[in-house]
Amino acid sequence: MKPPARKDALKPLWRAAVLLRVITLVFAAGVVMTHDGEYARTWLAWSTIGAMALWTLVTSIHYLRPGRGSVWFTVVDLGVCCALMTLSRMALTHDQLAVDAVPLLPTVWVTSVVAVGAIRARVVGGAVFGAVISAFNYGVRGYVDTDLTRDMVLLIGVGIVVGMLSLNQVKAAETAERLAQAMRAEAATAERERLARTIHDSVLQVLARVRKRGRELGGEAAELAELAGRQEVALRALVAAAPLESTAGGEADLRPRLQVLTNDRHQVSVPATAVMVPEAAAAELAYLVREALENVDRHAGPTARAWVLLEDLGDEVVLSVRDDGVGIPAGRVAAAETEGRLGIARSIRGRVRELGGTATLETAPDAGTEWEIRIPNAKRGTR
Amino acid sequence: MSEQVISVMVVDDHPMWRDGVARDLTERGFDVRATAADASSAVRIAHAVRPDVVLMDLNLGVESGVDATRAITAALTDTRVLVLSASGEHSDVLEAVKAGASGYLVKSASADELVDAVGRTAAGDAVFTAGLAGLVLGEYRRMAAGPEEGSAPKLSERETEVLRLVAKGLTARQIADRLVLSHRTVENHVQSTLRKLQLHNRVELARYAIEHGLDADPEQ
Repeated sequence: MKPPARKDALKPLWRAAVLLRVITLVFAAGVVMTHDGEYARTWLAWSTIGAMALWTLVTSIHYLRPGRGSVWFTVVDLGVCCALMTLSRMALTHDQLAVDAVPLLPTVWVTSVVAVGAIRARVVGGAVFGAVISAFNYGVRGYVDTDLTRDMVLLIGVGIVVGMLSLNQVKAAETAERLAQAMRAEAATAERERLARTIHDSVLQVLARVRKRGRELGGEAAELAELAGRQEVALRALVAAAPLESTAGGEADLRPRLQVLTNDRHQVSVPATAVMVPEAAAAELAYLVREALENVDRHAGPTARAWVLLEDLGDEVVLSVRDDGVGIPAGRVAAAETEGRLGIARSIRGRVRELGGTATLETAPDAGTEWEIRIPNAKRGTR
Repeated sequence: MSEQVISVMVVDDHPMWRDGVARDLTERGFDVRATAADASSAVRIAHAVRPDVVLMDLNLGVESGVDATRAITAALTDTRVLVLSASGEHSDVLEAVKAGASGYLVKSASADELVDAVGRTAAGDAVFTAGLAGLVLGEYRRMAAGPEEGSAPKLSERETEVLRLVAKGLTARQIADRLVLSHRTVENHVQSTLRKLQLHNRVELARYAIEHGLDADPEQ
């Protein structure tokens, strides 16, 4: 799916192609008027101009709509243009065709379809459409000479030039989009840093103070200190995490999604540089880790703590979730997996498999549990 | 004089925090010799009082504690810097460690953890949180994948193994048990991962200085 900006970028070119067809239609009609009465079949000549006018209307409506019609419509467009050129064989006399070189009925009107091909399929599309129209030009005339070859060079040339223009438009739009995204990200980062500083200077200092003094006072104050401490840890993790933004390529940094899971019992360790994975994988992995941590809270005992480690090995991303809770006795793992206790184990395995990775679970009595999730990153492996 | 009191200096721009930490440490028998609120006075005061351990906050208002850490560890070989910072300041913490800090503790750590960490830092051990281990692992991998892969320091298999376990929250004691090593050996592995990183950083800085002519004698 193309980002909307790329399609919009070509809007001026589509308009120009439509305008070109209207102008060349008027020219074609003028040429037929000039040779009126000299044709083998004058009615056919005027009918062709009528058909061209109708087709100009149809294509204008299609190409000015935001969807620009389908690719097939453009192929049909090319076919109609070639067919109308072919009608000249019947409308023009033999002398007009081969000796006097009177223009074919559509004349330069067919240039527009070459431009359309170029806008749609860049340089290759333009060159191919130009070549097809030239081939019909030779075919209808039935001979080869310098003038026809000059037409061919011009038609293919127009295709290539418009194709390059179209490519440039798309690239420029992409660059502008990337620039806009970078500026948005920068503004967001600056704002986040400002907020983080404010929170750091005010709320966090007070929470830290409450936690410290409360512990010293003991009793009920210590309970309050405990609560303040928890909020302090969570708030620090929140203001420190990078924004959850994804790139234009549909990739996202996995780190902030994991860092927000930090609290007084869960610690998250990540590299200092971004760990980019496809957006969908980032969401899925963050969800998995959240589930695994919730499972620790539910089953590993009231004092159990958990650690999340994110590693980027280049061709794969490794996620470890370890807890120091009660663990599971050997031989009970399979049973536990089917019961509620490790019911999520199956869900984790299934989800990791869908991401093309592997998940292993290690556990022993009183030794906690440890998940290791490995997700291959084929795209970056070849970087 | 055999059981020397450990002297400490606290650097933080927040008076409330600075005084709280100083009081905690004094109560536990440390000699809090000085405090500082900004990077430049931290370097100046450290030169004057030569503490065993500098507790360094990285977020000193507009200044960063990283340069102060580099200046202090470069000039005062007997002074160690322990970074005490808000969690998650990733690149900052990593930079401070590369600049010579011998450890990192989050500000939300308890007073007991702080006292333990200061003691270990004074004894020359590297104080690693799981978070720092994750950062250091990531840094070695970044260097291995980077353009100067040849000159970059590498972790041995054992060091990687140890560092991963630290990052997963195991204590040195637990790691020693799991890998059937002595506690000392585990500490040495952890320390060596930091030392290699710091050495590489110094070499890189020197190379940069030479390439840019910063080492030239100003007289010439």
